[in-house]
Formats: sequence, C-alpha cells, structure tokens
Amino acid sequence: MIEEKQIVIDIKHISMQFRIAKEASGSLKEFLIRMVGRQNSYQTISVLDDISFQAKEGDVIGIIGTNGSGKSTLLKIVSGALQPTSGTVMVDRSKVQLLTLGTGFDMELTARENVYLNGALIGYSKEYLDRTYDEIVAFAELEGFMGERMKNFSSGMVSRLGFAIATMRDTPEILILDEVLSVGDMFFRKKSEQRIQEMIHGGATVLIVSHSLDVILKNCNYAVWIEKGKLQMAGAVKEVCEGYRGYQNRKK
Amino acid sequence: MWDKEQIKQYVFVIRELTGREIKRKYARSYLGILWSVLNPLLSMAVMSLIFSAMFKRSIENYPIYYLTGNIIWSFFTGATNSAMTALVDNKMMLIKVKLPMSIFPLSRCYTALVNFGYSIIAFTIMLLVFRIPLQPYILLFLLYAIGVFFFSLGMGYWLSVLYAIFGDIKHLYSILLMLWMYLSALFYPVENTTPMMQAIILRNPIYSFISSARKCILYAEFPSTEEWFRMCGWSIGMYLFGRLVFQKMQNKVLQKI
Repeated sequence: MIEEKQIVIDIKHISMQFRIAKEASGSLKEFLIRMVGRQNSYQTISVLDDISFQAKEGDVIGIIGTNGSGKSTLLKIVSGALQPTSGTVMVDRSKVQLLTLGTGFDMELTARENVYLNGALIGYSKEYLDRTYDEIVAFAELEGFMGERMKNFSSGMVSRLGFAIATMRDTPEILILDEVLSVGDMFFRKKSEQRIQEMIHGGATVLIVSHSLDVILKNCNYAVWIEKGKLQMAGAVKEVCEGYRGYQNRKK
Repeated sequence: MWDKEQIKQYVFVIRELTGREIKRKYARSYLGILWSVLNPLLSMAVMSLIFSAMFKRSIENYPIYYLTGNIIWSFFTGATNSAMTALVDNKMMLIKVKLPMSIFPLSRCYTALVNFGYSIIAFTIMLLVFRIPLQPYILLFLLYAIGVFFFSLGMGYWLSVLYAIFGDIKHLYSILLMLWMYLSALFYPVENTTPMMQAIILRNPIYSFISSARKCILYAEFPSTEEWFRMCGWSIGMYLFGRLVFQKMQNKVLQKI
C-alpha cells in the first residue's frame, strides 16, 4: 500500500486577464481625451488561460516556458500577490514563502541597517534578526563591512548579503523560487547552491521557475510547461523537458 | 484575524521603513535630522520679517501665530505628498512581499508624524522664547495632531491609489495644495478677508485644526462644540473614506503597476 500524500497546492482552471488601455498611458490628459472621444478602448490580454495542476506534499515542481508565457504571473497568484480573474487556488498562504533577494535594499543605508530593513520586509522579527545577525554576516562573508554604506559595495557583495538574509530562515512548508538558485562569484556560488539544495530537499513542497532545463532536471520530480498562457504539458520531469526541448528546436 | 505576533511584525516593518525614509532624507547633509527642527524656525523667521509689521494690529505674537499654522500645514502636506507616491515607489516590494499594501502609505504618514515631532521641539523652544505661558491647555494641541494624522492618512490612502492609476494627479495635487494653503489663513488674519472668503476658510478642514490649535496655545481657549464635531468628523470621515477606496481598488492597482 502506498501512503496517500496530501495535496498542498491545488490550482483549478486559473485564468488571468489584464485590461490594458490601447495606447498605454497613465495620464489623466490622455484618459480625458479618450473619454471625450468615446474611444475608451481597452484591450484584454490573456496572460494565463485555464491552468490546472496539483502539488502534493514534498513535490518539487519545475515551471518552464519561454519568456512572457506567464510563469511569474502564476507564481504571484500562488503566493497571493495577485487575484486570478477566474479559477481557484487552494493553498495555505501562511505556509507559502517566495524567496526574494534584497527586497527594499537601500544603497544610502549601511549594510547593517539594510539587514534589518530587508529582514523586516520579508517577515523576520526583530528578536530573530538580533539572534541570527552574526550568522547572516558570516555566511555573506562581509565581516568588517557592515558599517559601510551599501552604495560602496560591489554587486557581488550586495547579492551575497541578500542571499544570506533570505535563506537564513527555516525552510517554509511551501517554497517558491523565481530564478534565484545561485549568486555571487565561483566560491560563493557553490556555497549558495548547496544551501538551496538543502532547502529544496528538506521535505518542503517547492515551485521553481527557471530558464535552465538542467536546473529543472536536476532538482524536480514533476514539471509544468506553460506556453503563451496555456498549459502545454504537465507530468514527469523528463517527458515534459523533452517535449519542451523539441518545441524549442522546431522553433529554431 | 489580527493576532499579536503579526501586529508586532507590522509595527517593526513600519519602524524600519520610517527609519529608512528619515536616514535617506538626510543622508547627504551635515546637519542631518537637525533640519527638521531648523526648517520651521527659519521659515518662521522669514515670514515674520515680511509680514509681522503688516499684521501687527490684528495679530499679537505673529511668529507663534504663523508657526502654529505652519507646522500643522507641513505635517499635512508632508504626509499626503509622500503617501501619494508610496505604492508606485515600492512597486517591486508590493508584489514580492507578504505584507498588506496599506502599510506603505501608513509608514509614509508615520514618517511625517515623526518629523512633526521634531518640529514640536522647535515650537516648544519658541513658546519659551516668546514667553507664552505653558498651560495645560497646550496638551490639546497633541490631540489635534492625532486628528490631522488620521485626516492625512485617509487622504494618503486614496491619493496613493489614484496616483498609481493617473500619474498626473501629482501635478494637479500640487496646484490644489497651493490653493488650499492660501485658504488656510497660515500667515494672515481671517478677519481681513471678504465675508465670502471667510465662509470658505471656515469650512476648510485643515483650518479648523489650525484655528483650534491657535486658540489653545495663544488664547488658552477651548474649542466650541461645533469645532469639535468638525474636527472629529473630518478626521474619522476622511480616514474611513480613504480606507474604503484603498480596499476596493487594491487588486486593480496591483495589475496596473
């Protein structure tokens, strides 16, 4: 008997449409002109069209597709940042965590101040940051630089700090990764990849968006291929990746 | 519902965001935060230099008369102007972070409140310099400040939504503020204007806070019942209106930016 695993993400017939003014404008003048001219024409763009799939506890799901096919929009819907136009998402939002690097970093502030600012924004409490501060600094290898303003940092240093803060927490039950699998120079890259591996394979349910099929093949057991907002294929990672590769070759 | 941990976290976020705004604002100046104290003092000096002789007969203690209105007015404009752009400025964060959107305009208004706190220091010094008797009445002033805070927060909520949809609001609002300022009797006595102007000024929500503040500080007077109603009505009403608009439009804003 195989033990039934619980479904933790259940996406049913999700569609997302953006209503965009034909002449993209955010100005009152143009809006008024259009109102007067009665050509208040909107264009409906369908970003996602009837997408359904499920994730069970412990699944690592890769989401693939060419640029602009709606992958990031899908992640935003799962994480709760956007409401879909139609369809439902069943997921415990309190367990979902979108891994983001350096959200709200302000280059005018010192690195220390930014740890607290960024940490607060991604949901760490002050006590937690006080406790793990030294560990974050050590992981980012920035001892002795924390009193500096971030604008004097190299881009590698900035991303190391962002990575160290974002991955400090205990892995959430549902983790969402949007192209942030490794950062920094060669040495740090190894370290960061290892940490991501630990997060992915620590029993959490993971959604990964990546352009690299190698990353998807290496880490996922299941894949979803979205093309121009439509679900092309969903299933075992190998088959879906092969299908996608074939599609890309045909396009060339 | 609201649990304690979550509120604690929101307070922490607001404090961090406010800290950022203030550090940023003064990052490139030597005197730093001291400018929050100096700014109202210097503008008071300028206005007194020009107008105090002109209005000598109708206003005693012209510098304090002006300063009272000025710090309330700066609080209001500082809060609404910065809250207006809060959503657009933080658009990357809105999508990535699991926080209620309303936290961004709120933290901008809180920043303005902190700045107001610094100008209170300047204000207290001036009260001592001009030998205004410090009576318990003066504490009413802080109560009015809370009213201005909620009025500005309500405005900030709907302005931030509107700005995300129409960028031009920023320019329109700056013109509106100019008109509004001249109708707030910041630096002239209301009695010197025409009856029609007086009627307009008396209906101006910000003026009702300013005139009550002047009453408690300069004349040790309690506001009338009607004035109490007006102040409470404006601050609570505007707060609820802003909150409602914000709630209704949230999803639309996220799609737009």
